Amino acid sequence: MNYPHWQLAIPGGMLIALVAVLHVFVSHFAVGGGFFLVVTESIARRRGDGELLSYCRRHSKFFALLTLVFGAISGVGIWFTIGLVSPEATSTLIHTFVWAWAIEWVFFFVEIAAAIIYAKTWDSLDGREHLIIGWIYFVAAWMSLFVINGILTFMLTPGRWIETHNFWDGMFNPTFMPSLVARTAVSFILAGIFGYITLPKVEGREKVARWAAMWMVAGAVVLPLGLMWYFSRLPQFSQFYLNGLIRGVRHAVRGGVGFTLAALAIALICGVWKPRWMRPGVVTALVVCGLGMIGAGEYLREFLRKPWVINQVIYANDIRAAQVEALQAKGVSRTANFLLADDVTSEAYGQNLFHLQCGSCHAAGGYRGMRQRVDGWDADFAADILQHIHMLRGTMPPYAGDAQDRKALGKYLASLNPAWQFQVTDANRLEVGEKVFGARCGHCHTVNGNYRPLRGAFEKATPAQVAEVFPALGDMSSNMPAFNAPADQAAALAAYISHEANRPILHTPIPEQMPTGSNHSQLMRPASPRQEVR
Amino acid sequence: MQTIPIPHVDPLPLPGPVWLFTALLLVVFTLHVVLMNSALGGGIWTLWNYLRGRHSEHPYSRRLANELAGMLPTFLAFTVTLGVAALLFVQVLFGNFLYASSILIGSLWLMVIPLVMVAYYGYYYFSYRAEKGTGIAGCVLAVSVCVLLGIAFIFVNNMTLMLAPERWLAMYRAHPNGWNLNLGERSLVPRYLHIVNGAIALFSAILAHLGMRKMKTDAEYGRWLVQRAALVFAACTGGQFLLGMWLLLAIPREIAMTLLRDPLAGGVFGLGLMSVILAMLLILLGSLAEKPSPLVHAGFGMSVVTLFLMVCLRYLLRLAYLKPYVDLGGLAVQPQVGVIVLFLLLFVGGLATVGYMLWLVAQGRRPVAAAR
Repeated sequence: MNYPHWQLAIPGGMLIALVAVLHVFVSHFAVGGGFFLVVTESIARRRGDGELLSYCRRHSKFFALLTLVFGAISGVGIWFTIGLVSPEATSTLIHTFVWAWAIEWVFFFVEIAAAIIYAKTWDSLDGREHLIIGWIYFVAAWMSLFVINGILTFMLTPGRWIETHNFWDGMFNPTFMPSLVARTAVSFILAGIFGYITLPKVEGREKVARWAAMWMVAGAVVLPLGLMWYFSRLPQFSQFYLNGLIRGVRHAVRGGVGFTLAALAIALICGVWKPRWMRPGVVTALVVCGLGMIGAGEYLREFLRKPWVINQVIYANDIRAAQVEALQAKGVSRTANFLLADDVTSEAYGQNLFHLQCGSCHAAGGYRGMRQRVDGWDADFAADILQHIHMLRGTMPPYAGDAQDRKALGKYLASLNPAWQFQVTDANRLEVGEKVFGARCGHCHTVNGNYRPLRGAFEKATPAQVAEVFPALGDMSSNMPAFNAPADQAAALAAYISHEANRPILHTPIPEQMPTGSNHSQLMRPASPRQEVR
Repeated sequence: MQTIPIPHVDPLPLPGPVWLFTALLLVVFTLHVVLMNSALGGGIWTLWNYLRGRHSEHPYSRRLANELAGMLPTFLAFTVTLGVAALLFVQVLFGNFLYASSILIGSLWLMVIPLVMVAYYGYYYFSYRAEKGTGIAGCVLAVSVCVLLGIAFIFVNNMTLMLAPERWLAMYRAHPNGWNLNLGERSLVPRYLHIVNGAIALFSAILAHLGMRKMKTDAEYGRWLVQRAALVFAACTGGQFLLGMWLLLAIPREIAMTLLRDPLAGGVFGLGLMSVILAMLLILLGSLAEKPSPLVHAGFGMSVVTLFLMVCLRYLLRLAYLKPYVDLGGLAVQPQVGVIVLFLLLFVGGLATVGYMLWLVAQGRRPVAAAR
């Protein structure tokens, strides 16, 4: 609300993710790869192994070209991107950690200088001196990771900082160490993967192939330990996502494990067992697996933080938690600095609100697009459900606007799809009912699933008995929107719920394990740090 | 009438005193500009000499282009590294202005990142191919230089736009997707030309300084370099006076009057004028003799002093622009003393480490450039 919202064709968060994944991929290689180079060179010099030394020399040139240019500049790219997409959060991070960034900059400066000198002085320095430069590079690169890791983990687990606002509390927060272990392990895996890119064609091929695989194995052994430690330190709401509540999180976990195992399998088969199989196509597959591993990990890290960008301080849509009440009381039009429409009753104003409140994670169409999600909503229902938007599986921030704002945004959301018109017949009644359920109830409930299931309430109920409940829904709980679907759709919905609640099922729902409305909102509320970390 | 939208400052206090952030900003930004001038001015110098050395019998031009080729990627690397530090400190003091203006030109602002990569890889490519003297290498270098000129233009747009909040809302309403430029700013063109011309001037001073050192190993080549660099320096510095006057006439009158009303700004401006005249005299006098004298080194030193004074003046003018909206003295401050001390210690340690590495290189059996 403080800043103009940069309107993109894709959600701003997705842009951050794109830049971040590519940067993390290369920057972790910059750490692990530096260690790989200096250890390999050290061994080569000790053994007088010319083949290995020649490999190091070639690899260092590739290393410098990739990490100095793409790695370093894409890191600046993240800064540019977060400043554009989440200026409020960036400002808070800067005000909290400017000195951490300044310290990181010192290491970055040393790292860049050492990388340039290391790549250029193979002939002009003796072995010992060249190795000193290599070690300086690695220490500076790892320290750079050490500092940035503190800022990144702070965003999810600010720990005691919430109470004290003390720099050290924020820096050495509950997930600092586990994340550092996991990231260091990842950097080893990437050192191995990228080690294959400059694999010698003939001399020393097998030696290097097996050596690089060892780095991947070492990283892959430590990584699960670091991650389990990390997961055990997560806030409760993140643990719920991780325990299967959110489909995207499940996919990310499976994807991350799958890509890592695939990379490991390739390294063991084509690196250790049959090094001659490590052809360019296989190396490309390996690099893709590495990118997949990083992509899944970063997706997971970002998702586990929802609905926050800085846990308990700033929501994912860059609105401060402390501002929400004022926005709900005063309305956006009297608070925001940059609005595109003056008529607060217009659809254009609603669209503007959509960009301001939802644009960091959603667009009208495409990935996480709203068109499909709000199909079947009319303007009144949309305006009503916006009041309870933070209840939708806990991943959404509360709506920060007054009733007028909700009406305008509801109008815009309803305009994304044509209004539903059904000819309900006996043949399609259940099908229509299922669609209506998806639009009106499915965002918060299942009938027989394990997320706020309705089976308990409607088991043995006839369609007529189910339908009797609808008019009272808005009064039943402060978290339920009023039900205003047309009569034919209401009848179809009642038939569907009754049918589903009365059909035999193989498993018993376990609602007690899942967050309900009340404990969900409790989870979303700022808590003391001791409560926050399990 | 629409009110001017100024984003609120962050609710958290500044983690250090304003004077410290200001001092760090001025120092790292000056160093950033020296390196940026080397990357951009150096690129232009290299391109000119590469083309000259290719098409006619100018062995020294060819030699100079080859020598500079290996340095360009390093110049760019440290331009970015020092730019990051400047960006960090400017965000602490003026974040609410910089974020807003960056978002307004967001799409172009983000283009800076891929553009820097293109220029950077182009410089690397040229550094590996320069000695072969191919046309493709020249084209790649030309593309890199043009891209850097484009980046400079985007930066000038943002740095002027952050000073003009009265333009923000209309601009945002015209193009909320970030495809804006601050073309309504009268000082945009003279400021841009002032910066590009200044980059050539300062790098010419650097080259004159380097030429003096070259004279120790190859007197004729060194003298050629010193005298050529001195002439370009003098011409560009003369141009800076004209462009500077254009710039002064283009900025709002009340801002320009700061130079007369504010003793500090006026003093810095006066010192800057004196130092640049002195730098020009020293470099010209030192280079025109049969055997260039060490006055050239002093001239180079004065040109860096001039740059620092101009950076200070730019900062004071920024304060004048933002006077109605910002009160740095009124910001809440809660210094993170322990971390500041740690930073300063590590900063000294970092400099010492880089110094040690350079010492190792200098002690090496062969020079770094030859090993490439």
